[in-house]
Amino acid sequence: MADEAHLKGLLLQGLAGDDAAHRAFLTEAAGLLRAFFRNRLRGAPEDAEDLVQETLVALHTRRDSYDPQYPLTAWMYAIARYRLIDFLRRAKHRVTAPIDGLEIGDADPEYEASDARRDVAALLDKLPEKQRRAIQLVKLDEKSVREAAEVTGFTESDIKISIHRGLKTLMRLMAQEQPT
Amino acid sequence: MKTDHLIDVLARGAGPAERPRWGGKLAITVIVGLLVAAVLVAIGLGVRPDIGAARMPVMMKAMFGALAAAVMLPIAVQLMQPGRPLGWRIGAVAVFVAICAGAIFIALMGEMPERRWEAWMGGAVPWCVVLIPILAAPTSALLLWLMRAFAPTRLALLGAAIGAFSGGVGAMAYAMYCPTDSVAFVVTWYVLGIAVSAALGAVVGARVLRW
Repeated sequence: MADEAHLKGLLLQGLAGDDAAHRAFLTEAAGLLRAFFRNRLRGAPEDAEDLVQETLVALHTRRDSYDPQYPLTAWMYAIARYRLIDFLRRAKHRVTAPIDGLEIGDADPEYEASDARRDVAALLDKLPEKQRRAIQLVKLDEKSVREAAEVTGFTESDIKISIHRGLKTLMRLMAQEQPT
Repeated sequence: MKTDHLIDVLARGAGPAERPRWGGKLAITVIVGLLVAAVLVAIGLGVRPDIGAARMPVMMKAMFGALAAAVMLPIAVQLMQPGRPLGWRIGAVAVFVAICAGAIFIALMGEMPERRWEAWMGGAVPWCVVLIPILAAPTSALLLWLMRAFAPTRLALLGAAIGAFSGGVGAMAYAMYCPTDSVAFVVTWYVLGIAVSAALGAVVGARVLRW
């Protein structure tokens, strides 16, 4: 499959430190994941988009779990399937039924591609202060890790670790969030 | 936040990431688990009094536990990370179980017909079915904690593999105490003890391994 070799190349370049390749990988993965989740959650495109975002954070924070000996798509869809199962389990325990009509209707092709139900920016505010600050400076204010270290007084590796932990925490928060 | 924006946030300043090295951690985990189980046997059960004379059967039983663990380890390692196939590793478990069944059969055929039942059942309560899972618990707990960090996606299956592997480790320690040396008895009940440990691992793993 063309996707396989192409995507694998991008992820491996990203793992080697090429941020542009990593961005390209996430962008292409988002398209595939959107199709995957919309196919399985027909009539609930917002839930599907929530899952796309959740899975992207999972792919990013766990990208070092990819073993290049095996197909990249197997790795990616294993994580996507895992997030979907986790989502359905949560949905079952929900008192209200926001995913009513789960099996009915087709995905609306006109639907804005990236409207999610939950707001990730709001979840970032719930992170522990150090993690939130590191993510704010580097990821949102577009400062370099070195600049962020100077502003906060932490070491550079401290900043990197805080960002990584913060994103992992973010994924857990995304999974716990009960959209209504 | 739109998905495109989220992608920008994730990719910005991402930098390089290395594949984690887990070999050393795994080795330490298993050694610690085995030592804790051995101490539990020495304190809680007591080493069998005739261990000097019975060195051979004790060694054989410990080897049996080690073999069971060795067959399960590749499966646990595959399941530790997403999207890795099991392939021949399942076949290795099947071969192991078939060899066990063959060993039980040959050992029982070597007995007089009227003594077969006793040689199989040991004429006593097979405590190993309870004790092997208990001795497996330290290794299981450490491995669940270690492997959770590697993004497993088939949680119950990985939990079962961890439980079975730890059952083999627990059996190694249990061999120091186990007073019965009949091949048919040992193979039957050790395998059942390991199976109980695997079942517990599946139940616990499905909850504990979530990430």
